[in-house]
Amino acid sequence: MRKILPDLCLLAAMPLLVYSVHRVFLETPIERQMGTAFKIFFFHVPMGWLCMLMAVICGIAAGVELRRRSALASAVALAAAEMGFITGLGVLLTGPIWGSATWGTPWTGDARQVTTALLWLVIVAYLLLRHYGPRSSDRLAAALAIFGAVNVPIIYYAVKLWKTTHPSTGVVASLPPEMWASFWPGLIALALCSLGLFGLRTRQLVLADELDAAWVRVEDNH
Amino acid sequence: MRIVRQAVLLLRSELRQELRDFELLLSAGFFTLVLLAMFYLSFASLPVKHSLPAVPAMLWLTIAFVGVLTLTRAFDREREADTLRALLAAPIERLAIYLAKAALCLMVLMLCCLVLVPGLWLMFPAGSAFADQPGQTALLVLLGCGGYVAIGTLFAAGLATGAGKNTLLFIILYPLTTPILMYALATTRALLDHHPDLPSFLGQMAALDLILVALAALLFETVLVGAGPNLSRKPAREGRPVRR
Repeated sequence: MRKILPDLCLLAAMPLLVYSVHRVFLETPIERQMGTAFKIFFFHVPMGWLCMLMAVICGIAAGVELRRRSALASAVALAAAEMGFITGLGVLLTGPIWGSATWGTPWTGDARQVTTALLWLVIVAYLLLRHYGPRSSDRLAAALAIFGAVNVPIIYYAVKLWKTTHPSTGVVASLPPEMWASFWPGLIALALCSLGLFGLRTRQLVLADELDAAWVRVEDNH
Repeated sequence: MRIVRQAVLLLRSELRQELRDFELLLSAGFFTLVLLAMFYLSFASLPVKHSLPAVPAMLWLTIAFVGVLTLTRAFDREREADTLRALLAAPIERLAIYLAKAALCLMVLMLCCLVLVPGLWLMFPAGSAFADQPGQTALLVLLGCGGYVAIGTLFAAGLATGAGKNTLLFIILYPLTTPILMYALATTRALLDHHPDLPSFLGQMAALDLILVALAALLFETVLVGAGPNLSRKPAREGRPVRR
């Protein structure tokens, strides 16, 4: 069951994603103040949440990797960072489009924008270090991931700590019922898609590691 | 207490080595002067109201660039003679190594600031507030450099134990140190504006520094030497690419 869980997640995500797009664009009423641009919200917010979730998973797995030197934790951290990179890129691309339509400028430099961009940069640095660093740099990359995870609560509370143009943390709870009903299918679809890809990538990394170990064993026997 | 005594001993050894040729100090000091001259040539004609936001940026950009040079050189010496391994094998606390290296880099950066801050004050009229509040300026620079060095020492040490690739320090350090540099930037702006909340800004910077030092000190030993034997992962043979 564990082996096919990522595939099941992806299978479930497909129809849900189609339904979500249909609902957001054809059945959800247009928001009075922001107009059509508000529809970006239904993808921007879930991607932001998923980016933070992936950064936290990456940080926790990196902590386990440092503590126990586990190959599985190392694979989980790398897979989570890769998904964090993709979802973070989604947030950083959709945010300015939405901002341009509603605030009149794509980038106001407010605390949440800056901290999210910083988190994404830390994820990029982590991936560069994992891919191009020397062999001993895995521990260093793990420390970097922990610093990245520490950034997540700062992003979440940025709208409360500093004066920002961003909506507050309670905006999703305050949505009218028809928008609320469109938000959840999108969130679940994107979450299933991300978790499915994350699971597949973790499995692939673990298999690659086992293949390397098997290759070394065969060479040792000869 | 034992850690402090060992850190002081190591710092004394570092300083003795530095006093023999002044390599670190001269290269960092010269780089500071070059950056200062470049900023002056680029922004000397700025009116005061425009140079007000530019002066903090010049101050912290210079510290960011000089900081990387200092951290890289401080650990290059260890790498060239492979003395970091010897230090790690010695019967001393690893935290003492971290504290000694961080203190050395902080001292070099503070000495560079002795050139940088008066330079900005002389070259740009907006920097006159540095002279009006010397105590607060010194505290601000100390806290900003302290946070920067706290993270920088951890990652520079981690890269120094690997084979080459210390250019990766630029990639790691700038995203990680941006929060403390941004905080320092905002605090410098408050200092130049004679903002009444300046002590509160400085307090927040001190708190951030404490968190960074604690986290870096906690991770230092694990990052450098690991947590124990790796039982689950066998090394790949040379010549065979490691799949990621």
